Amino acid sequence: MNNIIEVKNLTKQYKTLTAVDNLSFNVKEGEILGLLGPNGSGKTTTINCILSLLNYQKGTIKIFGKEMKPDSYDIKSKIGVIFQDVAVFEELTVYDNIDYFCGLYIKDKKKRKEYINDAINLVGLNEFKKFYPKQLSGGLLRRLNIACGIAHKPKLIFLDEPTVAVDPQSRNNILDNIKTLRNQGTTIVYTTHYMEEVEILCDEIIILDKGKILAKGTLDELKEYASIEEKITVEINDLKEEIIEEIKEFKNVDKISYERNILLITYKKGKNNLGELIDYLKSKKVKYNKIFSERPTLNDVFLELTGKELRD
Amino acid sequence: MLYHNLKYSLKVLLKNKGLIFWTFAFPIILAIFFKLAFSDIENKEKLDIINIAVINNEEYNSDEIFKNTFAELSNKDSENYMLNITYTDLSKSKKMLDNNEITGYLLFSNNEVNIIVKNNGINETILRYIVDEIQSNKEIINNLIENEIRENNNFSIDYKTITENVKKQVLDNNIKLNNISNKNLSYTMIEFYTVIAMACLYGAMLSMYIVNMKLPNMSNVGKRISISPSNKNKIILGSLFASYILELIGISILLIFTSLILKVDYGNNLPLVFLTAIVGSLAGLSLGLFLATVIKTNENAKIGILISVTMLECFLSGMMGITMKYIIDKNIPIINKINPANMITDALYSLYYYDSLKRYSLNILSLLIFSIILIVISYITLRRQKYDSI
Amino acid sequence: MTVFKTFWKIVKKYKGTIILYTVMLIAFGGINQIANENETDFVNSKPNVIIVNNDEEKGLTKNLIDYIKNNSNIIDIKNTEEARNDAIFFRDANYIIYIPNGYRNDILKGLNPEIEIKSSGDYQSSLAEMILTRYLKTQSIYNKEIKNETELINTINKTLKKKSIVEISSKLNTDEITKISRFFNFASYSIMAVILYIICLVLYSFNKDIVKKRTIISSMNYKKHNKLILFASSLFALLICILYMILSIILFKESMITTRGLIYLLNTFIFTFTALTLALLVSSLVNSKEAISGIVNVVALGSAFLCGAFIPVEFLPEQVLKISRILPAYWYINSNELLKTTEILNLSTLKPILIDYLVMIIFGIIFIIINNLVTKKKRVS
Repeated sequence: MNNIIEVKNLTKQYKTLTAVDNLSFNVKEGEILGLLGPNGSGKTTTINCILSLLNYQKGTIKIFGKEMKPDSYDIKSKIGVIFQDVAVFEELTVYDNIDYFCGLYIKDKKKRKEYINDAINLVGLNEFKKFYPKQLSGGLLRRLNIACGIAHKPKLIFLDEPTVAVDPQSRNNILDNIKTLRNQGTTIVYTTHYMEEVEILCDEIIILDKGKILAKGTLDELKEYASIEEKITVEINDLKEEIIEEIKEFKNVDKISYERNILLITYKKGKNNLGELIDYLKSKKVKYNKIFSERPTLNDVFLELTGKELRD
Repeated sequence: MLYHNLKYSLKVLLKNKGLIFWTFAFPIILAIFFKLAFSDIENKEKLDIINIAVINNEEYNSDEIFKNTFAELSNKDSENYMLNITYTDLSKSKKMLDNNEITGYLLFSNNEVNIIVKNNGINETILRYIVDEIQSNKEIINNLIENEIRENNNFSIDYKTITENVKKQVLDNNIKLNNISNKNLSYTMIEFYTVIAMACLYGAMLSMYIVNMKLPNMSNVGKRISISPSNKNKIILGSLFASYILELIGISILLIFTSLILKVDYGNNLPLVFLTAIVGSLAGLSLGLFLATVIKTNENAKIGILISVTMLECFLSGMMGITMKYIIDKNIPIINKINPANMITDALYSLYYYDSLKRYSLNILSLLIFSIILIVISYITLRRQKYDSI
Repeated sequence: MTVFKTFWKIVKKYKGTIILYTVMLIAFGGINQIANENETDFVNSKPNVIIVNNDEEKGLTKNLIDYIKNNSNIIDIKNTEEARNDAIFFRDANYIIYIPNGYRNDILKGLNPEIEIKSSGDYQSSLAEMILTRYLKTQSIYNKEIKNETELINTINKTLKKKSIVEISSKLNTDEITKISRFFNFASYSIMAVILYIICLVLYSFNKDIVKKRTIISSMNYKKHNKLILFASSLFALLICILYMILSIILFKESMITTRGLIYLLNTFIFTFTALTLALLVSSLVNSKEAISGIVNVVALGSAFLCGAFIPVEFLPEQVLKISRILPAYWYINSNELLKTTEILNLSTLKPILIDYLVMIIFGIIFIIINNLVTKKKRVS
């Protein structure tokens, strides 16, 4: 597959702060790249550099195989961006807003009309065409924001935290939209600090912190970074100390804790651990209410890499 | 692309009630206030008929000259009609003065004329001048009569004929004064011209708002626009066209309203008045463009800067009292030479007051230079395509 | 207490506006203080005249110039026709006299040369013209009798020396009181603008806040909350009122520490009350920030222009003054004007002023009633 975006050695400094530090990565055609990182990790700055909005000190950026410059109009016409902050005209209706932004790309009026209706249908704003942004709820406003960015059917889309402060319903709608777009063959760069979203959506993930790449790869590849492989949670009342000591001696067990009737065991390697534990508890006639096993999450990876939680 | 931007810029601007109020409605409201407040000032500064009382005592009744002159001055059919006289006694006169029915009263005693007034005031001053005038006439007549008598040193003098002759001589006004003042002297017009100037410069709000919307370092919408495959200059040009069209519509409405309904006098050269508005609006447009592109701060602060700068400029060009414009013009002319509000006001003033177009042309030229400088600076700033931070 | 603190925090945010209007008031008061030094002394006032002498300054020509100089203020100005024209238009000069070349000789020959003049057309220009014609007439009459130039000059001057006696009956120091009245008249604008603007803006942000908080804490005590806001608003209005009172005392010193001065202050206090009630009414009627600045500007400027805060009442058209009776500022300014002319202050002379007070208070009560109706209606809907 072709590389749609190639970023090499990108460095961006604001006076004393290095926001992006020698960053290199590629985005392949048709994939969703997740840029994951806490606030201030350089996600938005990276996107703004790629889009040629910001000056940067070092590095090369190629999109669709060509160098990206402010007047690379042929490249720009194939890009769509959904910014973190809602960027629409307060004075225009939903329809007019989409028409205005789409009109910057598509000159043919008939074709434009079609495209706008497609976008409105996609984000589900059909009943709100004549509404002004002020009259829309936060979630609907986000959807309008997305429609404005994608109405011209771009081949490459940047989504910068499109789900921040959005109600669950709108959030699901937005995530569905992204899936639909991917299925249509669009390449997507998606930044967020919500781990679940990345896990659901992204083919390739880059974890950023302080402008540097901490890790990159597929979801499974990243999870390799985590030193643990399985987490088992058991709800047991009044567990005896000696049993805990015995479980600690099991092979592969990394850590064990028992608090408020919850037994949490983490394993370094994950093969048949759950079966073994159930067998053991049965043999000791220990009664438990609930037992379940989890694979490590990106949060565990992040925790492992930085020593801090991703969510603020 | 130009048309697309023009259309939507117009839509955006027209929908923004705040902008439309300040650029369209506020100047009209202010002009109405000015009309209501100023319409009578100049009339009240002209000579008025003054109510006075004269103490009808013996000394007055024996003063032929005062009596005759007062008769003439209080004759409603005479062109010299200036006084409304009540002949009465002292206590009544005092009462009338206390009740503000008269400006003052005259008391003739001991060969002197006493003017008794209550306060200082315009009418009081005029009254004094009138009495002084009659006094000197009286003096002349007495002198002349004395001379006549001295010269015709015989006993057959016809006292009455001499007096009549002398009086005729004095009252016959053979003074040749030629008034060569320019005709249009209504200074309150300046107030309305400053409103036009204010409206032109407030037009800057339109271009400032809409251009800010198109710049990535000023607004989110601007970010979205600048990642599109459209030429930034074309987009900004479309926005500027839109705000200029609106400005011109607004200023035309204001001109038509003030001249037809408020009867503001713009002189005889209407096309040049419109030219002033067109060039003045251009100055407003470029001021807005300048504030939008060069000053990096938030929208509200920019509007604050615009309003306070415009108000200061209007103040210096005479909006809060025309004397300010005159004082600046006379003493520190450089300030008003670089003050766009004054350029507009002064252009309209010279059209109204002066026949020659020299001063007018100079003002129009200054406005054009002002606009070009701001546009060039803005253009240089705009040429930058990437930003260090947004 | 948090309500109170928040209130002052928001007020602080808008301190620029308060300073702006206060500086305008001080500037106005200050300029008034200097500019009107001679303007109010009408009886002794002289018109402003420019003499353009194209003749040699000798003999009769010199005498004419001297006479004009003695009876008017000669304006010194750049020697260009444009500067003179501007001076006439802007009333720096009321009258321009162009003495023609050969004027003296023509007179001595017994001719009657034409004199060109320019005039601003107001009463002062008429006074200047009176001065000029009186002189010329006298000269022309004596010129027929007297052929010797020196004798002619002496006779003219002797004749024109006679002056009438002017006696001013009122003992009132009108100059000072006029200034005080003008200051308070202008203050009506500052008070109106500041109180209306700030209270509307503050209550606007409060109302927005309440809407937010209502969803979070429903247990808030609204009645107490509203009472606190009302109290804070009143305190703010009172502080502004006191600020302007202190300003007047600084500007006019001992003139303010008299019965008359106290009545001016009482007047201002009552007007502040009316302005406060109007501000509360406007803030419950308007719920957009842009609308607030529009309405406040129109109301404040309108009151100021139509009621005589900027332009002395005597210059306003009668019809306008009739209309402006529907504005509280009219009654405030009216009582300032009455104070200016009332010589002796006692209960009967103060009656018209008390009526003005009553009208202002009634205005306030009406605003309060409408405000209550509006808020009730809002609460229902």
